[in-house]
Amino acid sequence: MTSVPLVSVFSADDSTKVTAKHIPLPAVFQTPIRPDIVSFVHTNIAKNRRQAHAVNPQAGMQHSAESWGTGRAVARIPRVSGSGTHRSGQAAFGNQCRKGRMSLPIKVWRRWHRRVNIKQKRHAAATAVAATGIVPLVLARGHRISQVPQIPLVVEDKIESYEKTTDALNFLKRFGAFEDVQKVVSTKVVRAGISKQRGKKYRVRKGPLVVYFNENAKLLKAFRNVPGVEVVNVTRLNLLQLAPGGQLGRFVIWTQSAFAHLDKLFGTYRYASVLKDGYQLLRPLLTNPDLARIINSNQVQEKVQPAKTTKVLHDVQKKNPLKNTKAMDRLNPYAKKQRAAAVAAIKANTKGTKKIKKNKALKKASKAAFNKVAASLSDATKAAVQEEQDIKVKYFSVQKGAAQAE
Amino acid sequence: MQIDEVVWQVINRGHCSFKIKTISQNFCRNEYNVTGLCSKQSCPLANSQYATIKEEKGLCYLYVKTAERAQKPKELWEKILLSKNYEQALAQIDEQLKYWSNFMIHKNKQRLTKLRQMLIRIRKMRLKGFKELIPIKKKAERRDKIREQKALVAANLENAIEQELIDRLKNGVYNEIMNYNTKAFEKVVGQNQVEDEEEREQQEQEEEEEDYSDEELIFDPNDLEEDDEEDQEQDDEEDDKRLFQKQTFNQLRRDDDEVKDVKKKKPKVKLQYEEEEEVEDRKKQQIAF
Repeated sequence: MTSVPLVSVFSADDSTKVTAKHIPLPAVFQTPIRPDIVSFVHTNIAKNRRQAHAVNPQAGMQHSAESWGTGRAVARIPRVSGSGTHRSGQAAFGNQCRKGRMSLPIKVWRRWHRRVNIKQKRHAAATAVAATGIVPLVLARGHRISQVPQIPLVVEDKIESYEKTTDALNFLKRFGAFEDVQKVVSTKVVRAGISKQRGKKYRVRKGPLVVYFNENAKLLKAFRNVPGVEVVNVTRLNLLQLAPGGQLGRFVIWTQSAFAHLDKLFGTYRYASVLKDGYQLLRPLLTNPDLARIINSNQVQEKVQPAKTTKVLHDVQKKNPLKNTKAMDRLNPYAKKQRAAAVAAIKANTKGTKKIKKNKALKKASKAAFNKVAASLSDATKAAVQEEQDIKVKYFSVQKGAAQAE
Repeated sequence: MQIDEVVWQVINRGHCSFKIKTISQNFCRNEYNVTGLCSKQSCPLANSQYATIKEEKGLCYLYVKTAERAQKPKELWEKILLSKNYEQALAQIDEQLKYWSNFMIHKNKQRLTKLRQMLIRIRKMRLKGFKELIPIKKKAERRDKIREQKALVAANLENAIEQELIDRLKNGVYNEIMNYNTKAFEKVVGQNQVEDEEEREQQEQEEEEEDYSDEELIFDPNDLEEDDEEDQEQDDEEDDKRLFQKQTFNQLRRDDDEVKDVKKKKPKVKLQYEEEEEVEDRKKQQIAF
């Protein structure tokens, strides 16, 4: 992780002044970021604060309704007994009915709470703490930290003795955390929905989370009235506060002692946690998560085989070379020239010739030839021909006559 | 560098407060984004080495972010003033972002060009002035229009003009006699004398034998059938006008004396009232017959 391995502790009175220059970053901040674990744990843990509620078990059932059965031209749903009121004869009891009981009415013995494996919960908390040290994640979550001198922000223990809210406010202003508080103030909205009548009138954003160590610290009261700011002891870090809404990257302000305590709480990669019995920080799958860098590194590229070119076996669609000239040319390169030559030949042949006209002399000659042939025919054939001609004449005359008659 | 990949996965798959999703495209609301789009290359959060151009009071600045300052949000962005000369500014970008990815350099230059064009346009508009578009508010427009019409009617322009002209006439602005409509002139001049005349008239009439003659002058017994006071008054006015016109004409013939201002008298009304009663009685008598 490129999280700064060394962190400066700032003076409570002066944001430019650094009281302790280089403190090593607790190993928690090097935990792999696992939004999946956080999401899972958060959805389940969020259910643990729920209070049992239920629908009145008698709701919709306080009738002596009975089905009228078949044969009455009405649906078979139970109907309210009695008479003298609109309600009588109306459908009752079903979830589909008006004024009927709901389907699967909520029972008090619904399983409201979820248990999550301790290890999972601890991993989630560790990841959430790690995420508070990554600037882009805190920004993406929506905190206004562009004026904060350092993330993670560690301040000397003096703030634990703040009693006045003015001190708290001034402290926040000095460290550029006031912008976040202002965001909270300006975006306070009346909640939509019925909840506003049930004690949740406003929707308020989350501001900075102040983490302290000493149990006698008075800063709780000092920061209590600042909108959006939450105060929590290191030993009781809450995932619901570190990753509100299951979203990583809360803006956290640590006191020096709280910061130092984190190593004991979560342990390091060298030794297991002291306070969380046997808990060992999650190890990353990849020490270097930058895949692009790995792939493009010299070591990998050396071993990588050259990219394969795809070989085209055949065309997607077969073209007929007898019809498709290009397909023909591909098979027979000489075809192009042949075609050209044929065209040229035709042109050459037709160069001197004129159009053939029907010659009168020719016609006469052909007729004479015909007569000659006719003369040489036998009598039988002559008679047959004559007959045929007569029929023809008759036919045409009839036609003519008919036409004239009309 | 190492974290960038992780950050991008978390932001892109999960929730990023700067991301704006539309049907076709994703935008980035982050003020330091070069392109304005949400993508891994142009995400200012997911790149520890990043540069943008931002404009401030007509000057372009190059903002540069490096991995070394990643943990210090306050000092994160290094602000470099770019030259006002376009080519020099491009050269500056090249110099500052030397050995950076081509994408970053290219996009920064593009952004610089865009911003400069915008600034040019702003300057032009300021100098030449531009037509500011104001929306038409239908309701307001409609309302004002109607009010204007009403005001026009209420102003009584013609009357006001008329009065003004009359005053001028009286004051002697138009000393030389000009062509005018005699009737109108008499009417105008006579109006001042009307009240005077009315007084005298009434006095004369009272001295006469009967009141009925007055009525005849002022009322028509026929009109009384309608039994409306208003109508009667209107008829009165018309008759009065005719009468007064006659009188003024006579007056003109007689004198050119100045007319004193006469207060409005209401004996006419009284008279009417009395006459009305009498008339009604008479009417009854008539009916009886």
